[in-house]
Amino acid sequence: MASPCVARTARCLSASARRPLARQTTTTAAASSTPASSSSLRATNNSSSSSSSNKRAYHSHEHPPSPPFGPVDRDILAAAYKHVPEHGFSLRAIGLGARDAGYPDISASVLPDGQFSLIRYHLVAQRERLAARSREVLLKDEAPLSAAGVGEKVAALTWERLMGNKDVIHRWQEALAVMAQPSYLPKSLAELAALSDDIWFLAGDKAVDPSWYTKRAALSMVYSSSELFMTNDRSPNFLETRQFLHRRLGEVQSVGSTLGSVGQWVGFTLNAGVNVLRSKGVPI
Amino acid sequence: MNQRLLSTTRQPRSSEPSSTSDRQTHFGFETVTESVKRERVAEVFTSVAESYDKMNDLMSLGVHRLWKDYFVSSLNPGATNPPGMPQRILDVAGGTGDIAFRMLQHAHVNNGNPNVHVTISDINPAMLAVGRQRSLALPASHQSSLSFLEANAEVLPSSLEDNSLDLYTVAFGIRNFSNMPAALKEAYRVLKPGGVFACMEFSKVDKYPLFNAIYKQWSFSAIPLIGQLVAGDRDSYQYLVESIERFPSQTEFRDMIADAGFAIVGKGYEDLTGGVAAIHKGIKPL
Repeated sequence: MASPCVARTARCLSASARRPLARQTTTTAAASSTPASSSSLRATNNSSSSSSSNKRAYHSHEHPPSPPFGPVDRDILAAAYKHVPEHGFSLRAIGLGARDAGYPDISASVLPDGQFSLIRYHLVAQRERLAARSREVLLKDEAPLSAAGVGEKVAALTWERLMGNKDVIHRWQEALAVMAQPSYLPKSLAELAALSDDIWFLAGDKAVDPSWYTKRAALSMVYSSSELFMTNDRSPNFLETRQFLHRRLGEVQSVGSTLGSVGQWVGFTLNAGVNVLRSKGVPI
Repeated sequence: MNQRLLSTTRQPRSSEPSSTSDRQTHFGFETVTESVKRERVAEVFTSVAESYDKMNDLMSLGVHRLWKDYFVSSLNPGATNPPGMPQRILDVAGGTGDIAFRMLQHAHVNNGNPNVHVTISDINPAMLAVGRQRSLALPASHQSSLSFLEANAEVLPSSLEDNSLDLYTVAFGIRNFSNMPAALKEAYRVLKPGGVFACMEFSKVDKYPLFNAIYKQWSFSAIPLIGQLVAGDRDSYQYLVESIERFPSQTEFRDMIADAGFAIVGKGYEDLTGGVAAIHKGIKPL
């Protein structure tokens, strides 16, 4: 942060960094307005959201993203979500949910992605829950995490997000299979990227160097492999998943620090070599 | 006017349809009065009804069957909780029964629900006659769940009560309506709260300029020629492609559905074959 140029970039990026709590409030505001008014509003919002906010790789205070669900689909999916432990992320669960929400059976057919809509609802709802609970999660641990390093906060938040899958974990392998279908894969990966971005933001990471990308990529990998491990974990309170998560995070850190050390050594050696050559009179 | 193969006008108009017969409207790229249009439609239509299915296959290279199958399976009629609950479906501008027969097949056979009833509505008796004839080949149980209605979609008869239908479909018909907003209002009236409006219609391929160029060439050169050779009626098929050209884009039509009071879920439409056709859906809020 020595040069003023870098410092300015840092301020600018941290001001426009992802703000999940702001997103939460806009979502609830839209959901509570009357269906008639919000449907016409949404019609105009939709076109702009698909063109602008999806292109932004981070969230900004000035441009909160439009809510991911409208009032009708939110109602149906929220009711359907209650049927997931019994019926899985299936059209049947959506049909039962529509009925619970007071809609006729045919209304389930308006959801554009069928059962993937329900999976996406789970992903979005758990991500928003994590943002809402982040303060609590970071304070509740016996060691005061506010003073701890960013790495420990990331571990605590990732674990909290994994626990969000607890109730549906026996259905999660089916869901992963659906998410991996070519037509849904881009949306699934976008949700994963949004989750890692949220976790790093909530953990208070302010780095604006190229590690911005590597951190998110590494966390996405660790999170998705831990999630996969969790689907087969039968240990009490997912103890083994927790150990797995911490091992993976440890590896990422050690790989990161090893790479850093190697880079430092290579830089030093090259620099020294150049200086040796210069001392011998080579015009470099 | 909701015959197929005809162009459309979207002028605002009074609720009484007969009072507009002197009004200017579009017939393809031509401008005529609505009464003249009706006469020409009736002539054209009788000659077209017989060759309608053959022409659809030739013009779309058979793809219209895939679109229709997909349209019906995406609506999944007859899937109820608990199974076997009654559903009422209205297929507007569905004269030859393409959509309605698929609905019955999907509901009765795939979903095992014999309590699904489909009404085929069309303004043109010639098209309905073709549909009646074809329906005789259906299993008896399907025939008993089918009824025919000759009606103008802009002023549906009072026998279709308010809030009485689960599903309103219109496939390749709505661009021929002279007053689409009025038809959408009628759809909103007859659907139950939570009922679904589903429309499949030719749309815009603007996203893919190269494909669009080929498609336009096919529409304006090949289709009228095929019409001339196969159906012996170049003019009707010229009107067909002109009316497709006049139909609003995906987002404009989505906004028209929203203006009629329907709630839109997601982006509100789905492109088929890059946007040659598009499925629009809306749901009547509770």
